[in-house]
Amino acid sequence: MAEFVIETPAGARRSLAVSGEFDLAAVEEFLSAALGCLEDAADVCEIDLGAVTFIDSSGLGALVRVRKAAHDRGKEVVLTNVPPAVSRLFEVTGLTEAFGTGSGG
Amino acid sequence: MPRRPLVVAVSIAVVGLVLTVASSWAAGRVDRNTEQRLLQVQTDQAGTVLSTAILLVQQPLSTALSVEKVAGPMGDTSAFTNLMSAQVGAGKMFESASLWQRHGHRMKRIAQVGDAPLMRPGDKTTVSFLQHAFGSKTFIVRAVTHDAHSSIAYAQADASTGFAITAERSVPANRRARVDNNSAFAQLNYAIYIGPKADAAALSTTDVAPSSLPLAGTTARTKVPFGDTVLTLVTSPREHLGAPLSQRLPLILLIGGVLFTAFASGAGYQLTRGRQAVETLYGEQRDLSERLQRALLPQSHPAIPNLDIAAEYVAGAQGVDIGGDWYSIVGLDDGRYAFVVGDVSGRGIDAVTVMARARFTIRAYLLDGHSPAATLGKCSRQFDISEDGHLTTALVGVGDSRTGEVTIANAGHPAPLLVRRDGVEFVTTTPGPPLGTGAATYASTTFTMTPGTTLLCFTDGLVERRTEDIDTGMQRLATTAAGATVSSADELVHHAVSTLRTDDARDDVAVLAMRWAGAR
Repeated sequence: MAEFVIETPAGARRSLAVSGEFDLAAVEEFLSAALGCLEDAADVCEIDLGAVTFIDSSGLGALVRVRKAAHDRGKEVVLTNVPPAVSRLFEVTGLTEAFGTGSGG
Repeated sequence: MPRRPLVVAVSIAVVGLVLTVASSWAAGRVDRNTEQRLLQVQTDQAGTVLSTAILLVQQPLSTALSVEKVAGPMGDTSAFTNLMSAQVGAGKMFESASLWQRHGHRMKRIAQVGDAPLMRPGDKTTVSFLQHAFGSKTFIVRAVTHDAHSSIAYAQADASTGFAITAERSVPANRRARVDNNSAFAQLNYAIYIGPKADAAALSTTDVAPSSLPLAGTTARTKVPFGDTVLTLVTSPREHLGAPLSQRLPLILLIGGVLFTAFASGAGYQLTRGRQAVETLYGEQRDLSERLQRALLPQSHPAIPNLDIAAEYVAGAQGVDIGGDWYSIVGLDDGRYAFVVGDVSGRGIDAVTVMARARFTIRAYLLDGHSPAATLGKCSRQFDISEDGHLTTALVGVGDSRTGEVTIANAGHPAPLLVRRDGVEFVTTTPGPPLGTGAATYASTTFTMTPGTTLLCFTDGLVERRTEDIDTGMQRLATTAAGATVSSADELVHHAVSTLRTDDARDDVAVLAMRWAGAR
């Protein structure tokens, strides 16, 4: 089982990278980091999903919550390096439009 | 498996007591070995002292013989008397001493000092005793009893001169002797026997009541040469010889061990009972959640013409928290029916609450005559993940039992599988976002089932595995359904669940199958 890890590199443009299994157990930690990112970001918070090995409906829900929170603040969340399996899950769950294609970064 | 507190307590007690007894026994054994060793050392010292004492017995006899040898064949009775008077009398070495001269086989007493000896001239025992002395290179010893008196008789003879000396030392009637506190015997009870055996008949002296002999408990013995025989010294300690701690250690270990075992046993009992209580509570909580969950699922299916309905809900394997999967099917007018399979993200009572709300909201719109797409569109405005923390995926459909026509709309849910007699295929839907994402519009998909076709709707717990993407799981379901030889919706549901569900699966599963048995 891949451990869920969040990295928040230093830099002008706020971003974070998540890796491992993005499930119910990871939601709280992710929301805390992502909402913090939104607070600090001028306009865009970039979330790198490149190393995510698995995401379930709770993980998808967390992404949706962050996106809605961004809209409420007039900001934007951009998902980058979305793995094909995650991208496929967006399709199946009707979320592709909400998150954009995302795979390009 | 909850362990019984009593079993744990008893197990700890048994192990603790065994260890306690073993360590106490070992400490006791060490102490006994030490005690035995110390006793043997002291006994050997006492034996040495005894040897020295024997020299004191022998010395006057040897000296007297030497004097007679110098005196010539007639002897010197006055020299003998002078010499032995110093050794004979009350509180001295001997009670009596006699000088004998051998004439062939006869033994003649030519001088005597002190009390009348028990060995009298002319007695056969006296003669044989003296003859024995002439045949021996050392002095000889014999216990003599006459009437109530007991004595130890000593004899030493010089075959070259024909002179022999005998002396007698009385033994107290009770055979007891006091022990000097500073002597080697100070810490010992002892019994001295004449000869190699510690028989009551051979007892010479002892410091305990003769009736209490032989000495019991820890004993040691040593043998000391005594003329033509030996003295056997048997001892036992008057008190503990080693360090006091060594003696008390077994008891200390025993008491300490028993107390500790009692404490550990009690603690084990409490801990196990506490744990058992927690496990019971945990089980009750989970049981309650699951009952709530099941209460929200249909208890029976409506009777719909031409439609064979089957459904199954399987709870996740672990944890108190239950999932928010559900299914529902209701009859509408004109032979139509509506169905829903949904899944609320997350777990626990909150998820089940959202599930209940979604289920009854969707059902209300459907009963009110709205299409599946319109129903989802209206619902999308009533759920918000920002407020309740959950996403809800749902597959909503309305079917016509007379024609086999089915219209579905999809809010982020896995597409249903059509299982025909000649093959399987997933219904191609256009999924809109899950409920909770925000206001959305949904597309309808309409298809017509052929007779004997089953529409299999399910939640992702049936196909999702952490190590693979969703399509792999979907394909496994398709293969499983295609390979099944089933003749009812119930059999298909059971086959799919039992084949695809692993015992350790964490997610819940809801499956709803509708087999259309109509004809066109």
